[in-house]
Amino acid sequence: MASFAAAWRIQRRVISALMIRELVTRFGRENIGFLWMMVEPLLFAGLVGITWRYMRGPEEHGVSIVAFVASGYIPLTLFRHAIIRCTRVFSVNGSLLYHRQIKVLDFIFVRFLIEVVGSMMAFVFIGALLFALNEFPIPADLGAVLEGWVIYCMFTFSLCLVLAPLSEMSEVLEKLMPVTLYIMIPFSGTFTMVSWLTPAVQNFMLYSPFVSPMELIRYGLFGDRVHAIWDLTVPIGTTIVFTLIGLTLCRRVRRMLVVE
Amino acid sequence: MIRCDQLSKRYPMGSGHKQVFNNLDLRICPGEHVGLLGRNGAGKTTLIKLIGGVEMPTSGRIRRDMSVSWPLGFGGGFQGSLTGYDNARFIARIYGREYEDIRDFVEDFTELGPQLKMPVKTYSSGMKARLAFALSLTIEFDCYLIDEVIMVGDADFHRKCHYELFEKRGDRALILASHSPDLIREFCDRAMVLHEGQGRMYSDVNEALEIYSAL
Repeated sequence: MASFAAAWRIQRRVISALMIRELVTRFGRENIGFLWMMVEPLLFAGLVGITWRYMRGPEEHGVSIVAFVASGYIPLTLFRHAIIRCTRVFSVNGSLLYHRQIKVLDFIFVRFLIEVVGSMMAFVFIGALLFALNEFPIPADLGAVLEGWVIYCMFTFSLCLVLAPLSEMSEVLEKLMPVTLYIMIPFSGTFTMVSWLTPAVQNFMLYSPFVSPMELIRYGLFGDRVHAIWDLTVPIGTTIVFTLIGLTLCRRVRRMLVVE
Repeated sequence: MIRCDQLSKRYPMGSGHKQVFNNLDLRICPGEHVGLLGRNGAGKTTLIKLIGGVEMPTSGRIRRDMSVSWPLGFGGGFQGSLTGYDNARFIARIYGREYEDIRDFVEDFTELGPQLKMPVKTYSSGMKARLAFALSLTIEFDCYLIDEVIMVGDADFHRKCHYELFEKRGDRALILASHSPDLIREFCDRAMVLHEGQGRMYSDVNEALEIYSAL
């Protein structure tokens, strides 16, 4: 057990050192510093929410449109940013591999963690702000929000584990990434609830790993004012499969990695 | 002790690959000073990277029963976009040392003064070498891996390195990749000559230097 405790200490040391380094290199120490990490999701969710509010009116399907858009956009920005940040992360951070206690998985984890923390801060911030403006509900079931959020995050992380090593193996992947991230939006559950769709499309949508956790988050926020449908087998199943594939790929790519 | 068994390393090159070395064996005991000789591209830096765990061998295995420094050369081991002080903080954090101790030593050893507040990418190679050396000396290792390219500094830097590395830490093991016969002759107990994918160890340093100069 002593060796496990020692390994745990090193792991914590490495993660916190890498977090600080990443925050300093990305956001600097000027003005609001690391708080920048929540600014982008905040702006996205806020501005898109406001745009929709003026294009489509205050409510849609019985819930505030700003709250609906914000609650969808924050997970989506988390996903998009996590994916973008994990491409080529091994080569970008290559010089850190000079220190043997740092492993390639730490790179992926640290960047992902920064996105998660930033999005969560943005979520709480925008929720509180909109609540003050009477545009956001008190969560009907906070447990469901958190459960949906955790599953959404875990799925995102498992996909990062696959894409980070793949992006080192093939440059095509990096080129295809922006268009894929755009095309996936209708299948991400960001702007629609499953129950608004026709039965045939509903079944199809539930095969998208984003949709069920998103429904769960919506249910947790709006409660019975929305009709949420979810099936967690798909997101949890894909997360497990992607994690296994991803860990194998990371190991293989690490062996071939050329460090300057 | 460090034991390298049957190390092979291949890099992809065009449609084929380049075999840097094949089935190489190497043992380094505590306190031993080993020189690595070879022409440009013979694999000295690659071998040092493998021993340091920066890159992985294509086949074979490396066992480290003593603490091994990161390879000391240009670039590796620090972040160009961070300042000298930030790099010192980072090293202190990942190795679990007190930042104040590391900072004091780095200031003293590098004599870079206010330049330490600037990003490392603005440093000259001599300045980088000073910082890299200082950082690695703040962490006590049983074995230091040194690529000769880092010996670019001025006379003052050489004197300091000499003192810190060979006098103060003379009991540590050392692997030194070098083209300089003088360095190898002065500091190494044994030397390995890398040539055409093979590594041969000579317990007589002068013999190794003769073979090397005849390549």
